[in-house]
Amino acid sequence: MSRPAPKKQSIASAANLCITRNHKRLLNNVSLDVEPAKISLLLGHNGAGKTLLLSLLHGLIKADSGTVLAPPRQQQRMVFQKPIILRRSARDHFEFLCPGLTEEAVAQWFAKAQLSHRIHSPARQLSGGEAQKLALIGALACEPKLLFLDEPTAHLDFEATRFFESQIRSANKAGTSILMTSHNRAQAERLADHIIFMDQGKIAETATATTFFKTPSSAAAKLYLDHN
Amino acid sequence: MDFLAPFTIAFVMLANADPELMAIIQLSLGISFSAVGVSLAIGLPLGAILASTRFPGRSIIIVTSNTFLGMPPVVVGLAIYVLISQSGPFGWLDILYTPYAMALAQTVLVLPIAIALSRQVFETLNNEYTPLFKSLGASRWVRIKTLVMDGRIALITIALACFGRAISEVGAVIIVGGNIRHFTRVMTTAIALETSKGELAIALALGLVLLAIAFTVNIASQILRRHFKQAGLDV
Repeated sequence: MSRPAPKKQSIASAANLCITRNHKRLLNNVSLDVEPAKISLLLGHNGAGKTLLLSLLHGLIKADSGTVLAPPRQQQRMVFQKPIILRRSARDHFEFLCPGLTEEAVAQWFAKAQLSHRIHSPARQLSGGEAQKLALIGALACEPKLLFLDEPTAHLDFEATRFFESQIRSANKAGTSILMTSHNRAQAERLADHIIFMDQGKIAETATATTFFKTPSSAAAKLYLDHN
Repeated sequence: MDFLAPFTIAFVMLANADPELMAIIQLSLGISFSAVGVSLAIGLPLGAILASTRFPGRSIIIVTSNTFLGMPPVVVGLAIYVLISQSGPFGWLDILYTPYAMALAQTVLVLPIAIALSRQVFETLNNEYTPLFKSLGASRWVRIKTLVMDGRIALITIALACFGRAISEVGAVIIVGGNIRHFTRVMTTAIALETSKGELAIALALGLVLLAIAFTVNIASQILRRHFKQAGLDV
């Protein structure tokens, strides 16, 4: 699968992606464009294919067929739902995620995430919320053009979620395009410019957030919004 | 001689640091440390490569290494004997019945352990880290460096396991070392010889030292494991 730069009006795009595993179609002919400098949110039930689509766009896995167009790897970052933490200090883990920053810059990022007191702690001793914050600042510090977020606040408390959302907004204002998955309707309404609604391995609907939440066009989206 | 007499003599020999006994212990430790050092130097990077990359011949290396894992030491000793004896292809090395041959035999026995255990550690780490490696576009070199760096703690316990195996080896080293007094006699071969001669005191003294070493290795391994688990550095 080739990964050339996408067309100008989108930061990344996919065309006709299909994935079948164990005779089950997990993604069925999915095509989408990720809008530049916007917060796009992949919404849908469990098993709808949101994480799979995110992983395909980021190049973590390959589709059985279809094409993905995305910026070069160095211009992308991803924050996983469960952060992958190396067996070293929080400082050294940050360095692995985003090498080459000055000590001052690193200290500023840790301060921003209120993790200064944990900078020399073993990264795997951080709490779930702290580890996820570390993953986020490690991604943002590299100023990616495109940031993938896979349900990053799924296991976070209110304070940590608020930190995440404010950082996501700031990064977006600075020009980072964001594609994020979420189950949380309220969060989607707070953050998203654009909604991509998935249902059973297909994109059921794409719309601006305002349109989607006021007048969803697909039956699957209406049902989803009725129950969330 | 009553039952306890050999024990008493053994303790006296140990307490007095009997020179012959000490020389045997020193030689045993020297040979085993060398074998473990060489095995780790070869086995750890190989384990990391086998765990993190796919290349032609990888399966052959894994199968060969696993086969050697279960190889009886006497067979290894015999094979090395044939290879380094005067008429063998490596006879020109002239190392038969020297400590070098014994270290070589122990290395052949310990290397598969170093490879298998390190591959297991690195595979666990690699499976966990692969999405991150892919996400960051990490090169093969960065991957291997990260695996070795983050597996460093588990590697200490691997080194201890290798040392435990090496120091307690008898079958292979007696064949290629010859158990020559003051030259190639190590703890295990001395125990075998002295027991067969009925000199139980020396055998017991050396047995106690081996037991103490085994205890120390296991206790150190446990303490390290617990300590590193608490520090979140275990694999």
